[in-house]
Formats: sequence, structure tokens, C-alpha cells
Amino acid sequence: MWSYTVKRILQGIVTVWFIATATFLAMHNVPGDPLSSDRATNETIRANLEARYGLDKPLLEQYVVYMGNMMRGDFGISFTQQNREVNDIIREHFPVSATLGVLAVVFAALGGILMGALTALYRNRLPDYIIMFLVIMGISVPSFVFAALGQLSLVNLNAMMGFSVLPVAGWGTVSHMLLPALVLGLGTMAYLTRLMRSSMLEVISSDYVRTARAKGVPPARIFTRHQLRNAVMPVITVLGPAIASITTGGFVVELVFAVPGLGRYFVQAVQQLDYTVIMGTTVFYGAFLVFMVILVDLVYGWIDPRVRLK
Amino acid sequence: MTALLEVSNLHVEFDTYGGIVKALRGVDFSVESGQTLAIVGESGSGKSVAMQSVTGLIPMPPGRITAGSAKLRGKEFLGQRRLDGKTICGDEIGMIFQDAMSSLNPTMCIGDQIAETLEVHRGYSHGKAFSRAIELLDMVRIPEAARRARQFPFEFSGGMLQRVMIATAIACKPSLLIADEPTTALDVTIQAQILDLLQSLQKETGMAIVLITHDLSVVARMADRVAVMYAGQIVESGSVDDIFYRSAHPYTLGLKLAMPSHSEGEDHRLRPIPGSPPDMFSPPAGCAYCERCDRAMRICQSDNPPIFTLDKGHLSRCWQQHPQHTGASEGLYKAAPVSVDEVLA
Repeated sequence: MWSYTVKRILQGIVTVWFIATATFLAMHNVPGDPLSSDRATNETIRANLEARYGLDKPLLEQYVVYMGNMMRGDFGISFTQQNREVNDIIREHFPVSATLGVLAVVFAALGGILMGALTALYRNRLPDYIIMFLVIMGISVPSFVFAALGQLSLVNLNAMMGFSVLPVAGWGTVSHMLLPALVLGLGTMAYLTRLMRSSMLEVISSDYVRTARAKGVPPARIFTRHQLRNAVMPVITVLGPAIASITTGGFVVELVFAVPGLGRYFVQAVQQLDYTVIMGTTVFYGAFLVFMVILVDLVYGWIDPRVRLK
Repeated sequence: MTALLEVSNLHVEFDTYGGIVKALRGVDFSVESGQTLAIVGESGSGKSVAMQSVTGLIPMPPGRITAGSAKLRGKEFLGQRRLDGKTICGDEIGMIFQDAMSSLNPTMCIGDQIAETLEVHRGYSHGKAFSRAIELLDMVRIPEAARRARQFPFEFSGGMLQRVMIATAIACKPSLLIADEPTTALDVTIQAQILDLLQSLQKETGMAIVLITHDLSVVARMADRVAVMYAGQIVESGSVDDIFYRSAHPYTLGLKLAMPSHSEGEDHRLRPIPGSPPDMFSPPAGCAYCERCDRAMRICQSDNPPIFTLDKGHLSRCWQQHPQHTGASEGLYKAAPVSVDEVLA
């Protein structure tokens, strides 16, 4: 188990290095640079700035310097925002995105596992049809539509009740998080429901569930002891990447609900070719994703003895 | 004296996209305490469905029991979960299945799976049930039971897992053990060990065994009584000697001819039964075996034969055993074989 963990971590480090290198090369191949703006700058000023940021050096040297800094944990200073270190941007805004993302995944996982199991148990009956209809909506309708609809109904609800049940936008308290997290998690919830349904159907007709029934185990106990644990495996597998993708992909929802998350900086940086912020956020998100995948593999081993002992 | 288990006139159907499959069409059998009944027949003949519908294990829907009764010590229990305060499955009736590898929960340790039966039916605490599980593993002759109890199914071999299944099934000392092809997935030496184990456990506990199999050598070794099934009906039943030495039904005879034998001087060629079993969506009006039978008569096509009693306890569902049937009266045969000359003429 230990050597397995160490091996996975080493693999992860190589992956992150690859992400950093690929991003670095891609970024420098985009026409323009952070210093080219609408304002006309004369040659001298431009040359001075390039020298100051090291952009006049050969690409390989820039790469070596950047990688050296990154390994010390220094992502550099933003080109477009004055005196802001990339580390500060991440430190301030990532926790917001992460909180929202984790809450969204909790909603998605609980909802998905529960509804998936329910649809499988009631296969081809009314509850199954209703939930599967909602699932198709959840997969096909984009999150900003749900975000706007959610806000609209919240406004109406607040007006009807005469007091603020839940705030419509903003950030700060738990009540601010609920609706954005739910909206952010809906797509994943729908996806997990489908995944859980098919894996549960497989488990329901398995030989060991028949054995459990032959042993006279009551249905509720069969559900918790025999079906759920085996059916939840595929869901666990996708949960890590889901947390990472929800956390990093919440840009639109963060914008609609005015949540000060990291997504905004990520998108802005690409638009403005803010080299250091692009690198910082991409490498950070990449590392986060890799970390979640490794974490899930370890959790998987804890749930499935076959993985643990091999 | 009433039999331990008495099943009569059992009819079971399954709804499928292709139509209704009439899986069982009036099945009767009974088992006495301490005895072994072997149910034999080819795949799809309804052996497993018969036992699984009695214990309520067939999925309903699409399955449906349309008629019949099943009595345990004279008391009806078909369609019920409990009888006289005892759960039927796991407590009164233990069951083991063919593929032990897939019949045990892969994420639960062996000891927990055995203990679960005791926790559910006897209300044992987990600790007490687990230590009893270790004793049971000992009983089914698994070495180092205490260590093995904490292992998982994938760490066991097929034969070992079948022993675990047996330990689970007998945990609550059931009066009946249903063994659904328990040795089909095992090689012959392991098969012999498992059968020996079943026999010695039966001697110790006095339980009855219903053994479902399509292996006649297993039948010869284990059974007191045999029921031969074909197309959802029992076509012949009797003692082991009745079935092997005084077989009456043409299907039983066909099965025997298709079985390899070591005795010298006999024709060593195996003779398969030609054709295939009837379509169970619309079973024939007459005898289901008629199409494949080399002794079929006209009446066989139109009327399903009733059960004829040959001796005490030896029953056969074949018109050949009708008291008025005197033997090879040519006129009764459905068609004389067509000779080559006739075809050419």
C-alpha cells in the first residue's frame, strides 16, 4: 500500500510537470504578449519592460527560470494587476471556489447515489420515469439557465414570504452558498444518477444479492450491506475528477451569483495573456485535479478489498 | 407421516418480450427428513425455477406463480416469508448455488457473510456471530478458520468458496438444504470432496437435501430419490434404483444412453438425444418429449400423458405405461419409418 501511494504521487508529479510545460509552450505560441495593448508604447519603453520581466531572453531560459521559481512555490507577479502576486490571487480566491465546489459535489453525490439507487429499485415504474426525465433535463440544460431560473424563483419566493429566505447573490454565509452549489452540482448529479442506476441494476441481478436473499436477509439490510457498497464503486471513481472539474469549471455560475471565486481570474488571464496568472492557475488546477484522482484511488482501495490487497 | 417438504401442482410463468414462458407446468415432489432428492434435467427444464419459486427467489415480476402449493411439515408456505415465527429462507431452508465465486459479496469478508445469517435469524451480536462463523468454517473443514474468516472471497479458491457457501447455508441448522448444481463449476476431485462434505453434514444434522444437477454420476452417488424433469414437468420419479435400473420414461432412457460408461463389452459410443426441447412460449398439447421420442405414438401428439404409478413410489409420465398399452403394437406408432426405396419411387 505504501509503495503504491508513493508510486502514484511520483506519477502525479510527472503529470503536473507535463501540464506546466505544455501550458508554457502553448501560451508563448499565442500571438502577442501581456505587454501588447491598445495603447501605443514606444520601442524604448517596451524594451525596458521586456527586460524587466525577462521576456527578451530565449524561451528556453525563460522556461528554466520559471520552472525554478515554480519549484520553490513562487508563481510570480501578475502582468496586468499591479503588485499582485499570483500566489495571493490563488490564496484569496481558491478557497471560495473550493468551498462552492465541494458543497456542489456533496449535493451531486448524495443526490446522484440516492436517486440512482431509487430508479434502479423502481425500474420501469413511475419514480424511475420521473427521475430519468429530470436527469435528461439536468444533463442537457446548461448551468447558467438553471442559475438564472434559480435566482428568479428565489426572488419570487423572497417577495412572497416578505423576508429574505435565501440571498439571491453574493458571498459570505452558508445561506449564500446553497443555491449556487446546487446549480453547480446539477449536471454532475444527473450524470451520477445515470451511472448509479446502471451499476445498481447490475448489482441487483447479481448472484451475491440472490445469495443474500436466500440467506433471508431483510431487503433494507440487503440494500445497505450488499447493494449500495458494490454499486457505489463506479461513482467513487468519477468523484475525484468531478470535484476538480466542478471547482475549476464553476466560472459561469460564479459570475451569475457574484461569487468571488478563482474562475474569473482564470478566464481573464487567458483573455489578457497574463502569462504568470495563466501558468499559476493552470498548474494549480492541474495539480489539484491530479491530487483528487490519487485521493480517490486510495479511497477506492479502502472500499474495495480487491484493490487494497493487490 | 407427512413429508418435510411437499410441493404439488406448481405452475410458474415468466413474462418476457417474446411472450409468456410457461416454465413450470404442474410439478409435484416431496422430500423426507434426512433424505436426498435429486432433481435432474437439461438446461431450461425448470429444475432451478422449481426450487427458487418455492423459496420465493424468482424475481416477481416478471415471474408469477399461477397455481400450486408448497408445504413444510404439512403447513402451506408458498408466497410467505415466514412460517411459525421462523423465516423460511436461511432459517428453515438453506441454499447453495452453482457459481460460488460470484455468489458471495466481493466487498464483505467471509466471516461477516456467514455471521450475517446468525445476526438476522438468531439475533446474535456481531462478535458472537463471528466466532460462531469461525466454528462453522472449521466444520466445513477450512484450515486456519480464524485467519480465513477475515479474508475476502477473491482470496479463496472455487472449492473453498463452495465450502463457505455451505457453512453459510447450514449456520441456522436448516431442516432442508437446496443445493443448486453445487459442483458444476468445480473439477472432479474438489467435486468429490464437496459431495462427501454434504453427505457427512447430512448425517450429523439429519437435514434433507434437494440436489439440483444434470450430472447423473452425482445423482448416483448422492440421491435417495430422483425426479427427472423435462420441459417444466417431472417426467419420471422414483428411487435411485428405479431410475437407473428400471427406467421407464423414454427421456430417462435417452439420458442414460448419452452418459459415458466404463463397463466393458458395451457399445462405447455415446448416443445423443436428437432434436431440442420444445418452445416454452407455447408448449405442445401432447407430450413435450414426443418430437424427440423414438417410441412416440399417435396419442402422444394430441394428449399430454398423466402420471402413471409403476411401483410404490415409482412414477412415470408416459403413455407407454398406460395399463392398456401392451407393447409394440405397430398401429399405435405415429408413422412408420420411411424407407429409402419409398423416397426414390
